[in-house]
Amino acid sequence: MLTSKTFVKKTKRGRIIKIVREHYLRDDITCGSESCQICDPFDFGQPLVAEPENKSRLCLTPHYIIPDTNVVLHQMDVMEDSSVQNVVILQTVLDEVRHRSSPGYKRLKSMLANPSKHFFTFCNEFNKNTYVERQKGESSNDRNDRAIREATSWYQDHLRSEGQSDLIIDVVLLTNDADNRRKAIQQGLKAFTVHEYVKSLENCGHLVDLLSQSQMSVHSQDRLMFPEHLPLSEIQRGIKAGRYFQGSFMASRENYLEANVSVHNKDEMVFIQGHMNQNRAVHSDVVAIEMLPEEEWSCPSSMVLEESSEKIVEDSMETEDEAIKRKKIPKELRQPTGRIVGIIKRNWRQYCGILRPSAVKEGTRHIVVPAEKKIPKIRIETRQAADLITQRIVVAIDNWPRNSRYPQGHFVRKLGNIGDKDTENEVLLLEHDVPHSNFSEAVLACLPKLPWIITDEDYKRRRDLRHIDICSVDPPGCTDIDDALHCRELENGNLEIGVHIADVSHFIRPGTAIDKEAAERGTTVYLTDRRIDMVPELLSSNLCSLRSNVERFAFSILWEMTHDADVVGTSFTKSVIKSKAAFTYAEAQMKIDDTAQNDSLTRSLRHLNRLAKILKQRRVDAGALTLASPEIRFHIDSETHEPIDVQAKQIMETNSMVEEFMLLANVASAKKTLEEFPDCACLRRHPAPPPSNFEPVIKAALSKGFNIDVSKGKALADSLQSAVVPSDPYFNTMLRIMTTRCMMQAVYFCSGMIPETEYFHYGLAAGIYTHFTSPIRRFSDIIVHRLLAVCIGADASYPSLTEKHKTQVVCNNLNYRHKMAQYAGRASVNLHTHIFFKNRTTNEEGYVLFVRQNALQVLIPKYGLEGTLYLSDGKTKSKPRFTYNEEANTQTCGSVTFHVFDQVIIELSIDQSNVQHLKLCLKLVKPEIPGFSVPAHSSEDSEPPKKKQKKGQTKK
Amino acid sequence: MVDVQLSDAEKVFILHGVQDNCREDGRGCEDYRHLEIETSVMSNTNGSARVRLANTDILVGVKAELGTPSPEKLNKGRIEFFVDCSANATPEFEGRGGEDLATDISNMLYRAYDCPNCFDLQQLCVIPDQQCWILYVDILLLECGGNLFDATSLAVKAALFNTSIPTVTVTKDEGVVDLEISDDPYDVQRLDMKSSPCIVTLSKVGHSHVVDASQKEECCTLARLIMGVTEKGTITALKKEGSGSLDPTSIEDMMETGRRVGESLNKCLMDALAEEERQGTKKKSLGFLR
Amino acid sequence: MAGLELLSDQGFRIDGRRPHELRKIQCRLGVFNQADGSAYIEQGNTKVLAAVYGPHEIRGSRSKVLHDKVLVNCQYSMATFSTGERKRRPRGDRKSQEMTMHLQQTFDAAIQTSLYPRSQIDIFVEVLQSDGGNYCASVNASTLALIDAGIALRDYVCACSSSFVNDTPLTDINYLEESSGSPEIIAATLPKSEQIVFLEMNGRLHEDNLSRVTDMAVKGCKDIHDILDQVVRDHVSEVSTVHGWEN
Repeated sequence: MLTSKTFVKKTKRGRIIKIVREHYLRDDITCGSESCQICDPFDFGQPLVAEPENKSRLCLTPHYIIPDTNVVLHQMDVMEDSSVQNVVILQTVLDEVRHRSSPGYKRLKSMLANPSKHFFTFCNEFNKNTYVERQKGESSNDRNDRAIREATSWYQDHLRSEGQSDLIIDVVLLTNDADNRRKAIQQGLKAFTVHEYVKSLENCGHLVDLLSQSQMSVHSQDRLMFPEHLPLSEIQRGIKAGRYFQGSFMASRENYLEANVSVHNKDEMVFIQGHMNQNRAVHSDVVAIEMLPEEEWSCPSSMVLEESSEKIVEDSMETEDEAIKRKKIPKELRQPTGRIVGIIKRNWRQYCGILRPSAVKEGTRHIVVPAEKKIPKIRIETRQAADLITQRIVVAIDNWPRNSRYPQGHFVRKLGNIGDKDTENEVLLLEHDVPHSNFSEAVLACLPKLPWIITDEDYKRRRDLRHIDICSVDPPGCTDIDDALHCRELENGNLEIGVHIADVSHFIRPGTAIDKEAAERGTTVYLTDRRIDMVPELLSSNLCSLRSNVERFAFSILWEMTHDADVVGTSFTKSVIKSKAAFTYAEAQMKIDDTAQNDSLTRSLRHLNRLAKILKQRRVDAGALTLASPEIRFHIDSETHEPIDVQAKQIMETNSMVEEFMLLANVASAKKTLEEFPDCACLRRHPAPPPSNFEPVIKAALSKGFNIDVSKGKALADSLQSAVVPSDPYFNTMLRIMTTRCMMQAVYFCSGMIPETEYFHYGLAAGIYTHFTSPIRRFSDIIVHRLLAVCIGADASYPSLTEKHKTQVVCNNLNYRHKMAQYAGRASVNLHTHIFFKNRTTNEEGYVLFVRQNALQVLIPKYGLEGTLYLSDGKTKSKPRFTYNEEANTQTCGSVTFHVFDQVIIELSIDQSNVQHLKLCLKLVKPEIPGFSVPAHSSEDSEPPKKKQKKGQTKK
Repeated sequence: MVDVQLSDAEKVFILHGVQDNCREDGRGCEDYRHLEIETSVMSNTNGSARVRLANTDILVGVKAELGTPSPEKLNKGRIEFFVDCSANATPEFEGRGGEDLATDISNMLYRAYDCPNCFDLQQLCVIPDQQCWILYVDILLLECGGNLFDATSLAVKAALFNTSIPTVTVTKDEGVVDLEISDDPYDVQRLDMKSSPCIVTLSKVGHSHVVDASQKEECCTLARLIMGVTEKGTITALKKEGSGSLDPTSIEDMMETGRRVGESLNKCLMDALAEEERQGTKKKSLGFLR
Repeated sequence: MAGLELLSDQGFRIDGRRPHELRKIQCRLGVFNQADGSAYIEQGNTKVLAAVYGPHEIRGSRSKVLHDKVLVNCQYSMATFSTGERKRRPRGDRKSQEMTMHLQQTFDAAIQTSLYPRSQIDIFVEVLQSDGGNYCASVNASTLALIDAGIALRDYVCACSSSFVNDTPLTDINYLEESSGSPEIIAATLPKSEQIVFLEMNGRLHEDNLSRVTDMAVKGCKDIHDILDQVVRDHVSEVSTVHGWEN
């Protein structure tokens, strides 16, 4: 059965070594066709159906499709369409896709796993009939092309060979490589370009739009605008020689002409300015840059610049670039600046956007404005423009030729009407890569059957804590209650504190479909009006939720503490609890404050509250930071689901009380798991930010005469504590908000992967930390639960739990999901802010957070909202003129000067001049500047403005 | 090396035979025993060869590595010979038991190849003064059946002939030199082995001398002359070995024979290698499975 | 970009084998004339020569003499060109010394040592090309060489390695699979009695999977035994034909 062949590879690993690998060629590889009478039955993947119904005018017989690598990679959207079926993916193609694009490979793999697609992997490289050896003078690409032709030819012969059924099935090779096609046709194969083939399909008009437009002729004159990208080999040589640097390209959200590149192994970002220097790099691409000579260095213009979407005739890019160059940048402000010389790896994904109304209605070429401001506009070709103009759509970028101002792409699908809340939610979920489809059948099958009852067996295995007075304290409306607390006096005079966490790991067993799904989702995502659960609702809101007066499984941590909050002993146990009450923060607060109440729950809450204060003081003394970020709540109309009121979240003592004990529980679990699993504990660390991050805060505080010491966490906490302006109570909060923005992201990691010195959690000033207390909504907590359960012998270990690399992979995903969930949450708040202000114009108190060249960044505490107050657009010579003082960071107009932290009164409204793109519009009310500020608004809720506001027009 | 112990009578028999140009196994004084050569036996080397001369079994592997040239020869590469006497040949070689013999053989090879006309080290130069190929010629002695030097040199020459070095493209820009190795397995450089030497050992048996002495004949030998000879008859190295002494005229005689035998030996070897090469990949590699 | 995929979704390993398949094994007895027994084995690209001398008198110091059994003396050595990157020394390094010891232990257990008191048996192993499973190939080659030398054995000793990738045990792993960081189990067994005479594990493997992976290695040993046994039978019948013994 085995035939052996060796092939030789030479790799370069510092040295040159000759590597010999065996390559076994087999005769037992099936073709995957259901109609095949010759091959062994297939044992993996989805079979090709016996009577494929690919109806093409080019090939009238039923046939299977064999695409080459480039077709798969570039026409992924076509391949994914449900009408494309019965495709043979050759192993050669699969391997090439794997090496060239990992997202592409992922998509291809999910197609292969989809039972309705009938995509089959044919292992042609292991088949003795289709394996081809590289010939003398043949490049590896040529060899692969030949291998693809050879396999196609084998299929053709195989499906017609003797012993097969009467129905003749053909194969069609799809390749856009002219040479490959020519050779295939010479060989007697049916070979077409994808474009030819797709256009020839019956009833597949929509597929044409999905075609990647690699050959689209360019809209404008065939003039080369951009410098050429260097070939990869030259880039690599340059990087080795230190001439170029590799980094990831990060476009600015605020100014489309500016971007930064974070170079590997370099602290400082490299600044990139202008079209030519950006040279067709798109956000998140991996690029190669070259530093500019120091005299050409520049700095962010602190100009808020949006590429106007209304303008049809754009300035030529040269003019825009020239405009930048003319500006002289003082030496001390210059930042390392570079230009893109080549692209190492494109990281394009699919983008949500809207079609820009085109002047020529019947035209097929259109511009799509992506929802993400960091992404340039995309040119697509579509025949459905009239239909799409009111829709949010998804598009993909195909390429960006040198002679096109915009990248070229194609339409993928539509999401729904612009302005629909569901559509908009969908957009933000897609843009933040939040998995939000319904749970699959396989996942739901993992749920326990209802009615769910606790068996005697369960009681035996768990500690019975049902008699203890336990309660939960949560925000109002919370249905996924994952923590509950208790405190009782012990006979020896000490206190027993219990933190009870929902025992999710009891329901989610490792390796099951539900486990994989939860690991993939990583976290529950909270949008303003919607929650995207990590685990199905039955668990999140019922069986796991520690609701009052029902028996629930919990993972409990019990401490014995003195009245001074000194821990005497800690124990972990799986338990059964019965919560006596589910309070909101406010209810709990009332109970504590109400001296008339003296029942056991109230006493227990008071104990907890008192201990929490001690614990908090200890943390603060150790250097934990108290940070602030504006958080708001919307009151949603129960019928229209529209926000009817906004207010900043209120923080009560009880919030802090719950938080303290959660922190205590988290630290205790971190210690316990690390002790038992030094190599594979799942922990959370928060690196100290580099001092340079703090520069804006230091500068801002200095303007008010405060020194901020950032040398250590403790010093920072102290200096923040002391920076108080009695007349301006909000100043300290603002400073904390600004400090929060200087912080690094806290991340999950696996303890065996990094040195112990880096375990530190900066923000909490904790030596080690993890997440234990919210397993319903965070997957990290489930891992920690499982580890802890093994520690106390309550559950069995399983293989991948103790594999540090696997844990790290999970952690990496969690970090990504967590970050995206945060962004999505913020975006959702933004969306609702827009909806809220759609019909309102109000005057609000605000504070200047940053001073920019042409705008003020204003924070409105009442709504926790941040907006841009444009002072001028730099083009129209509008009056009055503001003077920007870069040194002092101020804007002056006549007698009025704006500093950071200045209080202003702002008029808030929504700029509805562009229905597709609502913008929050800020106008100055106070201090009054004649010709600029607007009169104070009388009523809070006015009618929506009937006509465009004057100030709105100055923005054009 | 299974110890051979001979009685006086046996010795006399061998001596007389040699005198009459009819040796104990029927050969003439200038005849070699049955010799088998196979190249490309070890796929993970750049070149390899196995020689079996009667019971003598030698395997040679050549590995090419990039390195810096030695300071006195900046535009040349290097060849390093390393001989390993496997304990498979005889338990006496266990541990460090074979080291003396190994050093003897490798020294002789260094000497034979240390001659600008017989092997052009410049073909191993990649970037003058900076990078060159170093050829590690590793010789593994698997069984000893007499005449190790000759067999070794044949195997070395065959392995070097078989050696292919990946083509290296040197790109220079702005003073930074970069080496790129061709990924095409057919894009290789071969070595010019035309004028490389073979070693011929002449053993003085009685008043005559023989080539390719068997183990029994080696027992009767008091002195040997080991010489490196190229295809053109150039003698690149010469060494006298053994406890007996030789008078100058017999050395001249032996050198004359050595040159003559060496010339034809080289020729035979190159012909055989060319023939094997002509068969190309069609030939089934056998190695030790024969 | 993407690392190696040791086991594809289609169920093939990098070299085209399925998880339970051994590499191609080819071997030969009696490679050398002078040694008392010799054998050569190829397991894929791993190629090993083994020679056996003895039983003979104790060489060197008499103090090594064992009065109730034979002294099994092994040496493991690797040709300097056997590995991808050239080795500096053929033996004497820590790894080879360990191998030597392992071989010694393995064959101490397999040779009927009490039959040859006060004598010595030498087993010399030379790895010519190394592509994973060096120990296994060495054991298998030595077994054949011992049989060739006519030394009494309890049973064949067969060795096989196995690994564990994507929840699937792989048998007879090659160098690439060995160096990928996945766990490795090496077992040498007496296949008929299913006794394990040598067992070693490298890397991390969860306890739950241990038995599955070990079973895979033991199964590999059995498969190897079948192949070796056939080779020995063929060899014997060939030799007897040459010598005209079959009548």
